[in-house]
Amino acid sequence: MSDLDRQIEQLRRCEPLKESEVKALCTKAMEILVEESNVQRVDSPVTLCGDIHGQFYDLKELFTVGGECPQTNYLFMGDFVDRGFYSVETFLLLLALKVRYPDRITLIRGNHESRQITQVYGFYDECLRKYGSVNVWRYCTDIFDYLSLSALIDNRIFCVHGGLSPSISTLDQIRAIDRKQEVPHDGAMCDLLWSDPEEIEGWGLSPRGAGYLFGGDVATTFCHDNKVELIARAHQLVMEGYKWLFNQQLVTVWSAPNYCYRCGNVAAILELDEHLEKKFTVFEAAPQDVRGVPSSKPAPDYFL
Amino acid sequence: MAQVKTVDEPLYPIAILIDELKNDDIQLRLNSIKRLGTIARALGEDRSRKELIPYLTENNDDDDEVLLAMAEELKGFVPYVGGVEHASCLLPPLETLCTVEETVVRDKAVEALCKIGSQMKEHHIVEHFIPLIKRLGTGEWFTAHVSACGLFHIGYPSATDPLKAELRVLYGQLCHDDMPMVRRAAALNLGKFAATIEPQYLKGEIMMFFKDLTQDDQDSVRLLAVECCAALGKLLERQDCVSHVLPIIIAFSQDKSWRVRYMVASQLYELADAVGPDLARSELVPAYVRLLKDNEAEVRIAAAGKVAKFCGIVTPQQALSTILPCVKELSTDASQHVRAALASVIMGLAPVLGKEATIDHLLPIFLALLKDEFPDVRLNIISKLDQVNQVIGIDLLSQSLLPAIVELAEDRHWRVRLAIIEYIPLLASQLGMDFFDDKLGSLCMQWLGDQVYSIRDAATVNLKRLAEEFGSEWTQTHIIPQVLEMISNPHYLYRMTVLYAISLLAPVVGSEVTCQTMLPVVLNAAKDRVPNIRFNVAKMLQSIIPVVDSTAVETSIRPALVELNEDADQDVRFFASQALQSCDQVMST
Repeated sequence: MSDLDRQIEQLRRCEPLKESEVKALCTKAMEILVEESNVQRVDSPVTLCGDIHGQFYDLKELFTVGGECPQTNYLFMGDFVDRGFYSVETFLLLLALKVRYPDRITLIRGNHESRQITQVYGFYDECLRKYGSVNVWRYCTDIFDYLSLSALIDNRIFCVHGGLSPSISTLDQIRAIDRKQEVPHDGAMCDLLWSDPEEIEGWGLSPRGAGYLFGGDVATTFCHDNKVELIARAHQLVMEGYKWLFNQQLVTVWSAPNYCYRCGNVAAILELDEHLEKKFTVFEAAPQDVRGVPSSKPAPDYFL
Repeated sequence: MAQVKTVDEPLYPIAILIDELKNDDIQLRLNSIKRLGTIARALGEDRSRKELIPYLTENNDDDDEVLLAMAEELKGFVPYVGGVEHASCLLPPLETLCTVEETVVRDKAVEALCKIGSQMKEHHIVEHFIPLIKRLGTGEWFTAHVSACGLFHIGYPSATDPLKAELRVLYGQLCHDDMPMVRRAAALNLGKFAATIEPQYLKGEIMMFFKDLTQDDQDSVRLLAVECCAALGKLLERQDCVSHVLPIIIAFSQDKSWRVRYMVASQLYELADAVGPDLARSELVPAYVRLLKDNEAEVRIAAAGKVAKFCGIVTPQQALSTILPCVKELSTDASQHVRAALASVIMGLAPVLGKEATIDHLLPIFLALLKDEFPDVRLNIISKLDQVNQVIGIDLLSQSLLPAIVELAEDRHWRVRLAIIEYIPLLASQLGMDFFDDKLGSLCMQWLGDQVYSIRDAATVNLKRLAEEFGSEWTQTHIIPQVLEMISNPHYLYRMTVLYAISLLAPVVGSEVTCQTMLPVVLNAAKDRVPNIRFNVAKMLQSIIPVVDSTAVETSIRPALVELNEDADQDVRFFASQALQSCDQVMST
């Protein structure tokens, strides 16, 4: 068994890797990710997943329901880290799978894959707490810069974390972005990771303070101009796990059940077969008894 | 990450560690504290005692996180300061940690003191440990009092008689402390302390303390006193237990605080042994029945979980007349959690009640719970079904429960379906072939096409178990053709299930059947357009190499693998090359 296979086994048990192993893993991942396009080509069949947010045991549940990688092909549409208790293990498992099976799993960037956001929403603190230094956070956030911005399945389904951008009308314009940087505060790259669809006409200001709101007409034009039939994205909590919009031209997929361990929502994955037939599988949060041994006394807040 | 350091490590990093104990950056201090052992080894036992420990005693006005780490380190520090002979030098720094405001740090310090104290020599305990208990117990702040409560059971056994009397008086003071936090600590530790006390004082003073705590104004104190009931009950002689503890727990079972009653519900059974079977029946059971009917759902949950245990200590008649009516009511309780708790233990009543009563009274409840709208309730019933088999026999079970089981086979929640699948092999072995075919055969095939991966996976394992149960011939007519048909499914994940099933069935049916019926399907799948199918073909072929004869390996399996080894997809090539290695190994042996 190779080191990498052993590390994947270890991460599947929710045990983090050593700092030196993380460094080596990230170096290998960088070599693979740097070759990927900003609009990464993906072949069907593939299973689409939305936000995970460090909910490791719910990610395990996702694999239990959808099948393990590499048996099942996966495309994760960003927001692997922050909010949940196990961002480190979650991201490293996905990254290790990417390095071991680059053709079986695709990871694209979410708005939380950013230095700034992770310092506020938990990933930074988690790294510091689990490793006693910020080195692992540095390695991981450096890798975030290399993650692709979007994916295109069989030239027919466009996948992105957030949504569209007023400065983007063609896929080629996305391909031209220099993505290897921290997520900017505005502009095309920011919008792809931050925007939300909304029942409006044209463009609107986003209440998030980054990205835009875009209406059905914008989606229709984008799909028509780029000859795609569907925009798949994540980024917004939907209580039923998935939600169609704009006359089935856009779908939101959300894969963090009981988000933040309190929202009470179910999660979904979108299984596309080799004919692009769509099947949603809905799942709930992992029950308490498969969540590992909970510590009898939770650590006080300031340790988190 | 910290490695185990050897003594002859150069002094340079040690100097840094010592320096960093004083650094402004908390992270560096923390780092250093976590390597206190390394520092101590470098300094040697003598200097550790004379310099390091005094330094720690004086410089502990630090962040809680650092203090917590310090307590943790000191817990195992005895070897670094010269062994048990010098263990008492570790007490001063821990004593200060026992008085800090943060509970987590204090708890850790008490834990460390207990560990160190339990290794110390008797005269050292008298000279150093007991004075420490006294200082903490009479200290200025409530924090010290709280910590003191957790140390008595370590010091008391080594104390002289006058000292022992003093300690008991001091504990009495703590039981009546002004601060509820202290009284809570006194209640929490009373059981441990009582275990070290001589019988005559146990019956006298300790029971007085206990009684006072049970009448405390604060329900959080009474709550912890309830926990002592079981511990004290085990220490006291039966008649004392009956006269002192029993009335208290009975009174507690009607306490005005539901949290106290909840604690009683979860502790009551533990007393049954201590008071003996007769009193358990006449006194504890009525109290228990009251708790089963409690207004508060939390209390009913705790009580419902003990139903089987309590039925075990009463006569079957009493179970029928007193407990069963409550069980019936709980099975339609408004709280789903009460029903779930009941469902998880109710099967245990069957052996107690016997066949007749189970059929008359329990079966209707099972059926109702199997149809409960809350999945956990259904799940809890299914996972214990085999206990009922043994009591009422499979015929009756299948007549009455099978329809419900079939219904659950299509349950919305996959864990319920999974529980049913795991129960199928047992059911099959008891129902026999014919009956099984009629009722359950098609279900087993249906699960292969389930939307949830783990159900499909369990379905293939189930087929293997059925094949083992009913034999190769049955498998060839009732399983293999239906499974192979599914290879034409347009969705790759469902074709993959067929491959799993084949790899599991092959060892059961043997070489000939495998080569004739299943191998061609696998070889054909090697040309599938989806790479995932192709590399799973490689894996499946690898797994059936030991099953089939060597001619088949050479004429069909190896050529297929050689071709897959040239595949455009790297994962297909990887698994094909692995399989080819297995081929070579088989051929060479």
